[in-house]
Amino acid sequence: MGKRSRKKMGILTVNLKHLYQRRGLWLAYVFLGFLVFASIAEALDKRAGRGDFIIPVMGALFVGFLVAVLQIEVLNKPFSYCLPGHRKVPRKFIFSTGVAINLTASLIFLLYPFLYLYWPHRIAVICSAFFAGLVFYWLGVLFAFGVRNSWAWIGFLPLFIVGGGFFGLHIIIERAIVENPIGITLLGAFSTIAAWLWLGNVGLARRYCGVPWVGFFDAWNRDKLRKYKQIRANIKWDKLKKHPKPWVERFFLGRMNKCDYLGTGRYVWGGLYTTFGLLLSQWQGNIIFVLFMVFFLGYMERMWFLMFFPLIGIAGYIHSPVYSSMLFSGGRRERFATVITLAATTAVLGGVLFIILAALSVPLAVIIPDIIVRGITIAFHTITIKLFYAPLVFVPFAFTINLIFYRKPIFIILSVMLLFMLLFFFSAIVWLNQLSTIINPVSVLSALVLSWGIFVLVLRYICTRRCLVGQGRTY
Amino acid sequence: MHNICKRFGETKALDEIDLQIYSGRIIGLLGANGAGKSTLLRHIIGLYLADEGQCITFGCNAAKLGSRELGRIGYVHQEGELLEWMTVKQLICYVSTYYPNWNRQLEEKYIEDYEISTKAGVGSLSPGQRQKLAILLAIGFEPELLILDEPASTLDPIARSQFLDLLLQIIQDENRTIIISSHILSDVEKVIDHTVIMKQGRILLDCGFDQLRERFSRLRLSALSGVLPAELPFANVVQCQRSNGQAILTVQDSSEEQIEEAAQGLKCKVEIQTLTLEDIYKIVVS
Repeated sequence: MGKRSRKKMGILTVNLKHLYQRRGLWLAYVFLGFLVFASIAEALDKRAGRGDFIIPVMGALFVGFLVAVLQIEVLNKPFSYCLPGHRKVPRKFIFSTGVAINLTASLIFLLYPFLYLYWPHRIAVICSAFFAGLVFYWLGVLFAFGVRNSWAWIGFLPLFIVGGGFFGLHIIIERAIVENPIGITLLGAFSTIAAWLWLGNVGLARRYCGVPWVGFFDAWNRDKLRKYKQIRANIKWDKLKKHPKPWVERFFLGRMNKCDYLGTGRYVWGGLYTTFGLLLSQWQGNIIFVLFMVFFLGYMERMWFLMFFPLIGIAGYIHSPVYSSMLFSGGRRERFATVITLAATTAVLGGVLFIILAALSVPLAVIIPDIIVRGITIAFHTITIKLFYAPLVFVPFAFTINLIFYRKPIFIILSVMLLFMLLFFFSAIVWLNQLSTIINPVSVLSALVLSWGIFVLVLRYICTRRCLVGQGRTY
Repeated sequence: MHNICKRFGETKALDEIDLQIYSGRIIGLLGANGAGKSTLLRHIIGLYLADEGQCITFGCNAAKLGSRELGRIGYVHQEGELLEWMTVKQLICYVSTYYPNWNRQLEEKYIEDYEISTKAGVGSLSPGQRQKLAILLAIGFEPELLILDEPASTLDPIARSQFLDLLLQIIQDENRTIIISSHILSDVEKVIDHTVIMKQGRILLDCGFDQLRERFSRLRLSALSGVLPAELPFANVVQCQRSNGQAILTVQDSSEEQIEEAAQGLKCKVEIQTLTLEDIYKIVVS
């Protein structure tokens, strides 16, 4: 018996090693480190009823999500279903990590004011914080298990934080922990029992065993992502029927046919077709996107930087023809010309999109009413046209990132996020009316020369010196 | 190819490769996984650049191949990258736009023979169907140089047999060169006339297939009475198995006359067989 339990402990220990062996997790630890720092800084302020103590409790949602994603990756491997003792280890892993993390996090309530004199209440509140943390932790776990490729939703975490803050969720929860510790403890205990039973269900292991799955850390691996997309496309094709519309096909093939067989033009038009063909075919979706952007940016005047995000995202994730392993009658020179044209087209289309957004917002500003949320009036403003040339600067940067980190998509995501954060901070310190002093012909021209110069140099280097396709990490 | 060297980090993928490929040949490129076959093929079409040495394709430095040269090369690659979001018909139409000499008759015949649904989405095709489509896209413009990197790996036996028939049909054109890399040696030997065997980034053997088959023979010796002598008088024996008055020998570089002459002194029955490509391959790489 003792021997058997030692063996099981061994499997659990191996799983626990994931916590430091996965390099990708170190990024999450940076984020968690920031959370810990923010929690302590807020708590040291020692003001009750403002939600200052809630960061570690609600942060458990992210931790639970992360831990569960790690374990789904384990369950996904057929050996974890077939080998003795493996099937139930994810539950132990998730449970033990959850208890350890939340126990530590709940100690922040030792600093909570007005609790010093009443030891029983103080213990009850810490207990309540521990179980409240567990509730959030299980929510994170449930989300990871319940939603397909849930890690992709992690981008919405800031929205959850901002939205929760806006509606005062942190204050409500903090008050509930302090004022109703028994209720929260019971809720937490109940959710923990339910989670324990649910995670022990054999059906859960069966559901994930050998199923195509993109784990959090597979985002490093473009080949795996491609294979996964291929499998998904296979399953989804009949439902979606996503393919170029006949008019799109006619347009691009017509343009290709007008070019010389041995010229670069045919290859360039081919590249434009394979990049924009599907996007143009889904014109209804594009119109909805434009309308959404008009409303969003019209109401969120301070969030003007968000205009860049979709564009940077698209440019950063385009499947660059320079790396295509489909061989057509085009060499490295043709690939170079195609990518330059693609970048220029994306930038110009982005500029045109801005102009359309700005133009649409002018009549809408007259008729669209203000919105009042929790006593705050949000007015619809016209969108500034001053930034229409911004894509010309940002798109080459995004293409450069795409070229450099093509085989490491996670770096593309991180770079885009970094760019996004820079824009966020820039927009926080620069009001729209101050833009005109910063943005002048000299600064715009310098930025244009810099971004396009770097892009062309990187592309030229790749087209003349690098291998264009690869089958390993080191290509 | 002259003195080509290629490294991926610490791994030496190609090591001083010298190879001449003449037009009209059907070359079987053989080797274990990681032997450097795909790397070599990718150098020929300029997708990879050599660290050292020079690769010339159609008289042009492979790194600088343009539309004129690449329009004469068809390539079926291992990775199987296709445009998933198109229908099969749209993809064929798109690829054919690049080539003035696209053969519609061949396309139609191929689609019919292989039962490819042109209305299906490329993303919804099975691995075997994808491979068939990739082959069509590579041969549809009747390239002068056809490079097939593991073309039959995902095909079922019937499709493989059809594919070999198709290859035999394609090679009717005397000027066409085909390089085929495959692990299914029994298939390859039906079509190739030249063999290149690679191991750990080096070329172990580069010679005509007939010449190669003549180099190796298998002798089955059966003693007419008693046992065979301990020392058998054959030269260049590379393998030997003996049991109860019988012996199976694999010999290298020995003509039929030489073998018969050597066997004269032995009181035994001698059968001489040629080796399959798979047997030859095993001997060469070991």
